[in-house]
Amino acid sequence: MILTIRLGEVLRETLTVRSRDLLTRPTGAAVRSSIEEAIAATPCPTTLLDFEAVGLIDFSCADEVVAKLLRRTEADQYVVLLGLDDTQAEAIDHVLARQDLAVAALPRSGGGGCRVLGRTTPDLIQAFDALHALGEGNAERLAPRLGWTLERTADALHTLALHRLVLAAAGTYAPLPLQ
Amino acid sequence: MRVVTVPHYLDDKALDAVAGGLGPWPPEERVLFDARATRWASPYGFTALLTAAQALRELGLEAPRLAVPEDDEVRSYWGKAGFFRHARELFELHGRVPRRPPAEASDVLLPVTPVRASEDVHAVVGGIQEHAARILTSELGLETAATMRFSMALSEACQNVVEHAGTGGWVAVHSFNWRVRLGRRVVVIAVSDAGVGFRQSLEAAEARKHGDRWGDATALEAALIHNVSRFRDPGRGQGLAAIKRYLDMWKGKISIRSGTARLAIVPAWDDDTPLEDGLPYFPGAQVQIVIPEQEREKREQGTGEGEGQGRGGRGNR
Repeated sequence: MILTIRLGEVLRETLTVRSRDLLTRPTGAAVRSSIEEAIAATPCPTTLLDFEAVGLIDFSCADEVVAKLLRRTEADQYVVLLGLDDTQAEAIDHVLARQDLAVAALPRSGGGGCRVLGRTTPDLIQAFDALHALGEGNAERLAPRLGWTLERTADALHTLALHRLVLAAAGTYAPLPLQ
Repeated sequence: MRVVTVPHYLDDKALDAVAGGLGPWPPEERVLFDARATRWASPYGFTALLTAAQALRELGLEAPRLAVPEDDEVRSYWGKAGFFRHARELFELHGRVPRRPPAEASDVLLPVTPVRASEDVHAVVGGIQEHAARILTSELGLETAATMRFSMALSEACQNVVEHAGTGGWVAVHSFNWRVRLGRRVVVIAVSDAGVGFRQSLEAAEARKHGDRWGDATALEAALIHNVSRFRDPGRGQGLAAIKRYLDMWKGKISIRSGTARLAIVPAWDDDTPLEDGLPYFPGAQVQIVIPEQEREKREQGTGEGEGQGRGGRGNR
């Protein structure tokens, strides 16, 4: 079950001025507050934040909306960003990396597959990509594909799960649902 | 009456002369800013002049007088830059001031605009993007994503006022050919406020660490070099860090003056002194961001003069 929040609509309801841009900390805090209310009211474990109708996002607002949301949501809540353009992804990536946070993100149409923004390593990126290519699996299944030892694969998958970038249950890992 | 002569060319460096003219702060006498002979002002000059008047008014002092430039062309440009619209509320103006709101000059990307609240930042950024896109990519030769990055930098610079100053401020953005100091076209963002300044803003969080060294210069170093914020939140201090990141990409320059110090991150094309301390006091904080044209070879498209501020003004930019 997935909750989709269209940030363009949240912005329209939040701002007293007409703007498509996610700018400033007060705006970010108000938008995050709406998101948190929606998450608290839903039984869905995964929330998709849809940036499609958003213009610019500055660093302060990215911190308020995405970084603080990730820090404040429960360990069994998952967040995925949808419809990001390159500049939005760049701002969010920068803000999260500085705080040792990470999030799964899907670019706007035509921009490629799901990727990790924020704190990451080459191993995490490879394991994340492999899991998305294979679908659900465990370390035994992924290790040959990656050409890694079982221990290295298990370590990468475990770290992805700790960052809530993949679903984990009884040693099996799966990409976060996107629809 | 304390008479402060506004220099012929009012830019970031010349502001020191204005600050020196004000004497010990706050001035005991009513102030007259004499700009009759002024030929040119940068966006930094415009916003700082308004800041001086705002600071005096917020102290409950009598409205300072401003003798406006005598040159018709200069006066007209000051009107187009949006200066008089706000100066009317802060100064007692002397001299002929354009009555009608003039059309904006072509090199004014953003006329002098007040920044008091988050909504003002939205308005500033929303209003500049289309105009900035043309200037940044066509004239300065920046990458296509530069418009968004520029808008983000502008947003962060304005937010410093909303978040830290404790009072309102001013922002202006111009594009012009900076012949003497660079020989290329530039876009300049100036943000100035009459607030508490960096030292007071960071004092509670930082002063103890620095002991006797604590002052305006160390406060600027903490904020600009070490990305320190007065808030403990780990996500704070991102704004100036982000601006520096983009300026590094564009070989741009940022300088911040607060109280009696000025700190700049100086690119290779400039010979500015990175840190100056012991300057004459000026209230609040003044930020200047300079983004230069990216190609050294002059391009036909990028070398057109902006509208002038007087017959002798352009040569000294």
